[in-house]
Amino acid sequence: MNPVIPAPVPIPLPAPVWLLEFLLVFTFVLHVVAMNFLAGGVMMLTLSSFLGRHDLQHREFARRAARAMPPVVAFTITLGVAPLLFLQLVYGQLFYTSSVLMAWSWLAVVFFVLLGYYGVYWFSLQQDELGARAPWVILATTVLFVFVAFIFSRNMTLMLRPQDFYPLHLRHEVGSVLGPVTAPGLARLLHFLVGAAAVAGLGVALLARTWRTEAPELAVWARAYGVKWFMAGTGVEFLVGLWFLFGLPQDIRAMFLGGDRLATALLVIAVVLAMLAMVAAKRSLAAACVAIVGTLSLMAVIRHLVRVAYLRPYFDPRTLPVQGQWFVFVLFALLLVGGLATVAWMLRAFFHPAPRAT
Amino acid sequence: MNYPVWTPPILGGGMIIGIIAILHVFVSHFAIGGGLFLPVTERKAYRENNPALLEYARSHSRFFVLVVLVFGAVSGVGIWWSIALVNPEATATLIHVFVWGWAIEWVFFIVEIAAAFIYYHGWDRLDRRTHLIVGWIYFGAAWASLFVINGILTFMLTPGRWLETHSFAAAFFNPGMLPSCVARTAVAVALAGVYALVTASTVRDVALRSEVVQYAAKWLLAGTAAIPIAGLWYISTLPPAARDISMGGAPAVTIFAGLSIFFSAAVVIFTYFGPYQRPRHFNLTFAFLLAVMALSSTGVTEWVREAVRKPYIIYDYMLANGVRVDDLPRLRQEGILKSALWARHREVDPKALESTGQEIFRAQCASCHTVNGYNSVRFAVKGWRWILIDYQLSHLSEVKGFMPPFVGTEEERKALGAWLATLNPTPATVEIEPPPPGEKAQVQPAPSSGESKP
Repeated sequence: MNPVIPAPVPIPLPAPVWLLEFLLVFTFVLHVVAMNFLAGGVMMLTLSSFLGRHDLQHREFARRAARAMPPVVAFTITLGVAPLLFLQLVYGQLFYTSSVLMAWSWLAVVFFVLLGYYGVYWFSLQQDELGARAPWVILATTVLFVFVAFIFSRNMTLMLRPQDFYPLHLRHEVGSVLGPVTAPGLARLLHFLVGAAAVAGLGVALLARTWRTEAPELAVWARAYGVKWFMAGTGVEFLVGLWFLFGLPQDIRAMFLGGDRLATALLVIAVVLAMLAMVAAKRSLAAACVAIVGTLSLMAVIRHLVRVAYLRPYFDPRTLPVQGQWFVFVLFALLLVGGLATVAWMLRAFFHPAPRAT
Repeated sequence: MNYPVWTPPILGGGMIIGIIAILHVFVSHFAIGGGLFLPVTERKAYRENNPALLEYARSHSRFFVLVVLVFGAVSGVGIWWSIALVNPEATATLIHVFVWGWAIEWVFFIVEIAAAFIYYHGWDRLDRRTHLIVGWIYFGAAWASLFVINGILTFMLTPGRWLETHSFAAAFFNPGMLPSCVARTAVAVALAGVYALVTASTVRDVALRSEVVQYAAKWLLAGTAAIPIAGLWYISTLPPAARDISMGGAPAVTIFAGLSIFFSAAVVIFTYFGPYQRPRHFNLTFAFLLAVMALSSTGVTEWVREAVRKPYIIYDYMLANGVRVDDLPRLRQEGILKSALWARHREVDPKALESTGQEIFRAQCASCHTVNGYNSVRFAVKGWRWILIDYQLSHLSEVKGFMPPFVGTEEERKALGAWLATLNPTPATVEIEPPPPGEKAQVQPAPSSGESKP
């Protein structure tokens, strides 16, 4: 039976597919960096919060690191808007269908994020007042965000399998699909979560640099602690990545094992960069960060190639008509540059403030 | 039709969008008005050398961040989530027309969020001038995001020349864009006052509380003063049918339009005689009462704005059920089941007439109607015999001007009617015997086993 796939919108795309896909991948990288800090950050805070009941270092670390979390949540959400926008534009008929089929859980994402966000603020602002309850608050918050990751992972997987849409529609009430938790599905989720823990470790090591004046001892400890998370997380990620890779359908897996030169090269470079980041982490944080951003960027491209490969038998966005809205695109590009420059100016003013006038 | 239809029980998809959207509008307008209120108040405190007022602005900024950055941001995403689930066809259309508009709005969001955090955490860290500049940057970005999203929202009701040109500029600078932008800016200023009254009422120092309460009341009154003019301007741009719906065409909509004026007037009167004239007597309970009235006003106004767009979701282009106007002739000829990708019956099955009818309901009606909950179709046809249901379906857009026409073949219409007729017990029919000359007519119920299906 042919898969049931809704017809695309009969309005031309406002830019060529390559540009939209570039923006989709580029903005996804921005989102995923913030998302890694968030998912890994709440995991680290949970552990430190529990350990902090008997360990001063962990308690102080949790108190200070928690202050950085609200902006991380805000930017994870905001930076996630753009890739979802471009995804809906290019792959809308697949994304909307999978979302509608799992509507209840997909809508629950909004409430989980809202509760998780307030959980982060609660922990961040009232850790002392919460006392013994604080670790449980941040644990509940972590669980909420892991649920969000789980549901996202389900939807992003389901949209790649249009052949499942109609059978699922026949078997389930619309909105109640969540799908069985398969080993490849679990590998995908773990791949994101373990990677997040690793990247957040590097983020903590960076954050610790801002504590050098106020709390020099803690800064040294937190840097080493963050690097430990990074090393352990990246080490485990190699294994989870292999599990994920070998859980892919045979023809797609083969692309990354020599079948497609570009795909194979990207994967090899991404892995090598991750290894270089591990080597560099103890000596030069900056080098490790550059390498790991490189890995994340390449992984985002690889993720996109996997998506295209999954969908190849069913849908090729390059067949869609295009009528460029170039004037508005240029306006967007200029505003993006201006906006980022404004943010950079504000951050500079914040981290290097001029002496205050009395 | 193109997509599977999600039919949440009781509330229905429309109500789920409505609840999220109304709460979001109430907070997101505060995100803009409050963003103006903070730097203006901060500057006032510096100019008057009033450290107590400055301290109030600082505490208000914390409340602002907790409400706006968390609830405002997440509920905004929630609207996007819910519209995509309830009406994916319209959402996809809007994204195709406005993707660069949304991308521009996204840039403003980034600036807005960065500025909000730096403003909130920068009270002790930044010098006065820089802190104020960051506050103004926040407001500029927040207002710019309103400017963009407002153009997309008004497009749905007044798409204007886009229907012919399909150009971005025609879509964005549609007839309703400017008046709606002015009205929403005024609402934002008024809501800045409403929220400021809530925080002002908790100030412990009596003198400061009085000062700030009266100051906040002025914001509320100034904002609401501009709303009627902008509102009338906006109404003048509406399509005639939409205006008619709000002015008597559909009683429920007219009542809600009246409630919008009533709640807004009540807010103004209570504010003038309460916090503005007697700021010393103002307290948190009063502040919450005003906030609830303002929320009610926001809710009914947004509901009316949505309701007058019926039977369209994008005026003159797409009906509320996701059917494009251009597709109507084809669908009438081919029937809806052939295009309803997710229907189990691809043509009318005389042996399963009622379940075919239910499929047609899902494809064509379920985006607005539930079976038993909000806007219940069971209640809508209660007491109707099949023949009346069929008549109504045949003339749906004429009998109920705010509903789309039934789209499909005659067989499909009859199948839908057959299913609708099963939702209630067959009504007792009433027959009138012609009276003999000189006597009154005898009215008696007929047996209920009569006509219930075609």
